[in-house]
Order: sequence, then C-alpha cells, then structure tokens
Amino acid sequence: MAGRTAKEREALARQNAAIMAVFERAGFEQIAPDIIQPADIFLERSGEDIRARTFVFNDPNGAELCLRPDLTVPACRFHLSHAGQPEKEARYSYLGPAFRFPDEKLSPQEFTQAGLEWFGAGEAVAAEARMLKLAVSALEAAGASALQVTLGDVGLFAGLLQDTAMPERWRRRLQHQFWRPEAFKALLHSFALGGGKKRSSISEVIDAIGTANPQDAAVRWLEEHHLPQQGLRGIDEVAARLAEKLADRSETPLPQAAVEKLEAYLAVEGGAEDVLQSLRAISGGAGYAAALAHYEARLAALEEQGLNPKRFRFSANFGREIEYYTGFVFQVEARGLNLAGGGRYDDMLQDLGAAQRIPALGFAIHTERLQVALS
Amino acid sequence: MNTLTFAIPSKGRLMEQAQGLIEQAGFKVERIGSDRGYRGRLTGLENVEIAFLSASDIAAALKSGEADLGITGEDLLRETIAPDNAVADVLLRLKFGPANVVVAVPDCWLDVAQMADLDEVAQQFYRLHGRRMRVATKYMNLTRRHFAAKGVTGYRIVESLGATEGAPAAGSAELIVDITTSGATLTANHLKILDDGLILSSCAVLAAGASCAADARVQQLVAALVRCL
Repeated sequence: MAGRTAKEREALARQNAAIMAVFERAGFEQIAPDIIQPADIFLERSGEDIRARTFVFNDPNGAELCLRPDLTVPACRFHLSHAGQPEKEARYSYLGPAFRFPDEKLSPQEFTQAGLEWFGAGEAVAAEARMLKLAVSALEAAGASALQVTLGDVGLFAGLLQDTAMPERWRRRLQHQFWRPEAFKALLHSFALGGGKKRSSISEVIDAIGTANPQDAAVRWLEEHHLPQQGLRGIDEVAARLAEKLADRSETPLPQAAVEKLEAYLAVEGGAEDVLQSLRAISGGAGYAAALAHYEARLAALEEQGLNPKRFRFSANFGREIEYYTGFVFQVEARGLNLAGGGRYDDMLQDLGAAQRIPALGFAIHTERLQVALS
Repeated sequence: MNTLTFAIPSKGRLMEQAQGLIEQAGFKVERIGSDRGYRGRLTGLENVEIAFLSASDIAAALKSGEADLGITGEDLLRETIAPDNAVADVLLRLKFGPANVVVAVPDCWLDVAQMADLDEVAQQFYRLHGRRMRVATKYMNLTRRHFAAKGVTGYRIVESLGATEGAPAAGSAELIVDITTSGATLTANHLKILDDGLILSSCAVLAAGASCAADARVQQLVAALVRCL
C-alpha cells in the first residue's frame, strides 16, 4: 500500500495523541530531532549490522548522510547541540518517523516511533521505575491491555564479570562479546582451556618472540620475511596484540567453576521477584552485590510507581541485542507483539562528545505495531 | 508450452566453457540475428530462449524472474540471493570456473590468524584511530553474513568494483574480501588468507527459479549435463 488513507492516518494520529498526552503530563517537552542525520555517527558506533539496515546516501559534496534508523541518537545530538549544560537534567519526548530496510520479518521500512529520553536524572532506580511506568501508562492510554513486561539488567552481568578473577584482557574480550551469545560462549570455553594454547598460522611468529621485546621481534620478522608495512595499522599495534597472545600461552586457564558461574547467571529466567532466589545463590563479589542491591531496590521502586513486579518476567539474556545499554532494560509486549522497549545507556552522550558521563534513560513505542495489537 | 529463458554468460572463459558443456550435452546454442545479438535459441529443447548476459546480471535475472534458468558463478548467485530466499536455487554444480571467496589481510598483520582476531583488531583500530576498520569488497552481502556468523563487528564495508586486492596498499581499506583461484594475486599484493577466512568455495553452477525446477525440459537438460560432468 503506497501510503495511508485519511481514515488510517487519523486513527494513528488519534492513538498517538493519547500517548503524547501522557508524556506531556509527565513533564517531557516534545522535540523534533532531524530526520536526516550524518551517517557516520550511527555507522561508526554500530558497525555494519545497522548499516545493512540504514538508508545511507551522499549529498552533492560527498558527505554520507542517512535517514535516522531510530530516534535515540538524534535526540542525544539534539540535546548536545541545544543544552548549554548537557549534564543538567532534561526531559524530552518525540513522535516521528524512523527508517530501516525491511528485515527477514518484513517489518515496514518507515514507521512511527513515540518515545522519551531522560538525561541527567538523579535517583537512578526511581527514574528507571518511572520510565517503565510511563511506557505502560502510555500504552494503556492508547487502549492496550494485558501487557507483558520483560526486564533485564546488563549491570548484573558486568558486576559478576568484574568480580571474576581473570586477566583484564580476557575480561575486556568477554564484555565485548557479551552481545553475541554464540561468540561469547566459544570465547568463554577457550579461556577455560587456557586461552591461546591452540596452534594457528601465526603460532610460529609468537614462538619467535621468545624473550625478546615483541615490537623488536615483529620488526625483525617483517625484515627477514621481506614483508612490507601496509596501511594505517602500525607495527606497534601488531606487537601489542602479539604480546597478549604470548601472555595467553602461560596464563592459568579460567577455572571451570568460574565458567559455570557465568553460565549459571546467564541462564537465570523467571518471574522478576522469583528469580531473586537464583540471583542471590550466585556468589559474586562487591560488584555483583551492588548490582543485585540495585535490582532489588528497583523492584521496590516499581511497586512505588503502582506497578506489580510479581507479574513481570526477568531474563538474564534479555538486552543482549543492543550494544549501547549499560544497565536496566525492558520490553513491553501484547498479543505476541513487541510494542515498546528501552533502558539505560549512560555512555552514549559522552561517546557523542559530552565532557562527562551523563545518566540517560529512554524508550520508544512502535506505534504501528501498537495499532495492530489494538485492532 | 511456455517459453523458458535460459541465461548464459555473454563473454569470456565462462561463456566458452558454458557453451562447450551445453554442446557436449547434445544441444546447440544459436544466436538470433547478428553474431553480436544478445538473444538466441537452444536447439534440442522445445521453446527455450537464450539470453546472453554478464555473469552478475544472470544472478539478478534469476532473482527477478526475468530468467528461468541460468549458468553463473556460485559467488554471484549467493551474493545476490540470500540463503533463506527460495526464489532460485542451484540445480547442478558444473566443474569449471572454480574460485574461492576469502577474507585476506596484509601480511604485516602478524598477530592475525583467524576471524576472532579480526574482531579484536576492529576494536583496537577504533580505539586508536577513531574510525572503523574498512573492508573492501564487491561481495557486500557475503561479507556481512560471514562476519556476523563469526561474531566480527565494528567494521565498515567499502564497495570496490575492481582491483580490490590493491585497496590495502592504496590505503582505501584495511583488508579485503575477494575471489581468488591460485592465491597468486593476493601474495603479490602482500595479503594473506585467514585460517578460517574461506567464505565460499565457488564454481560455475546451473541455477533455476523455484517455479521451473520441476519443468520436464529443465530436468532433461540437467540429466544431459550430468552425463558430461
């Protein structure tokens, strides 16, 4: 269908007006971030997976632009360009189109998102509970019922990983692969076998370093084998990784108990209150304990908002798809459709140029999907 | 009887080998009109029209349905048609045009043997240079699928439509995904293939649209070609 009829447009507008009224009453001012965005800001941060679904094009000067694939980054850019002091609290709402190439589920290539972004909020758990409450209220105001809420908390895993004894470079690699469950599992098990024990086509290079300085050894190797230096990646970068590989060889394998603990955590799933028992049974250190206390405080804060966390689900795996989340994540479904999703992403504003780390919470409602769920 | 359109390569070694095989199987490719025409007929099978196209256009024609049957490289077919798309499929792997689609990095990357290394290098590169590691290729889809399956993220594809192997030396990309037969071109450009960098072992294939794979003429053609392989 090439566009909406007058009736369809009115129906969507009416539904979305009910959502925006909830946002307005809660004190969020409606902004209109640019639809056309510089492409690199999305692509440099997300990599090729998002690029594959983003409409990218060039302006006559050759600059790469894109149609925004969501409104979170555009709202962050809006904030950084308008707010004199970005670290001061700001509450924004938005309603507008976002664009993605259809994926295999043939989702529409242009769709309307209604959402909130809350920057610099104080009291972390109270703000998180408030965000979920607003998402639920907005969906209910539009007429949705029998909502199913799933919670996740990326901070619990980060705490547990921080508390698990292992070389920092292994931790960094596990944290990075956390977002890709299969690669994560393979990596974790390779550390249990001692990391770099398996031979590969570069084992001889590592053998040759011996007790020498890795950089000298690498330079010597290039000379002896008549290999020219090519490209931006310098020999110092190559040597730094060779040194890590050399260190991996003599590293103590990650104890089986540690592997089991991390995997036991990732398998936790169930009622948001019921899982407390399983979460408490996992013995982490100070980092995990702090994250767990945060989780429990959040459950109390959800009740204070008039929500009933007993009816929510928790999944340790949930939130492993979008790399920018740093803590609380949630999703609201009805009739099998994912209607709204969001969470905490405290690194984003700094990553986009803010002078310091600024707390950030947000969510978006997929308004056409909501319309389907209501029909 | 409906007309089947059979797309075959219009030039180069692939054309010679495809025509050679078809004739060996007892059919004849006849051009209509001048020798330079792009239409023809297959004698020996009723109502089969020939379309002479470039190998990459053949994959696109199979996808769009403009061609019912075609001979092209498996690399181009897999690049054009996603694995979960049932619009066309390979009926027969022909024994010519062998080539591998591979991931290759500069020889001087002494610390890189596997795709897993590449993921770490991508992180390191972004941290130190403030931008994404670039992969030059004409196989954008094959590259995305392979990198995703191996958990490699944080790279960017730079589309390259020729002399891809020169991109790292020219500074337009850090590494490449390209097709190679002997590997000699890669070696000459000081590039090495990763241990698990083989994306596809390609050769020329006979492919057909889903709707005509069961056609009696197609089956007759397949049976005759099988006898020659």
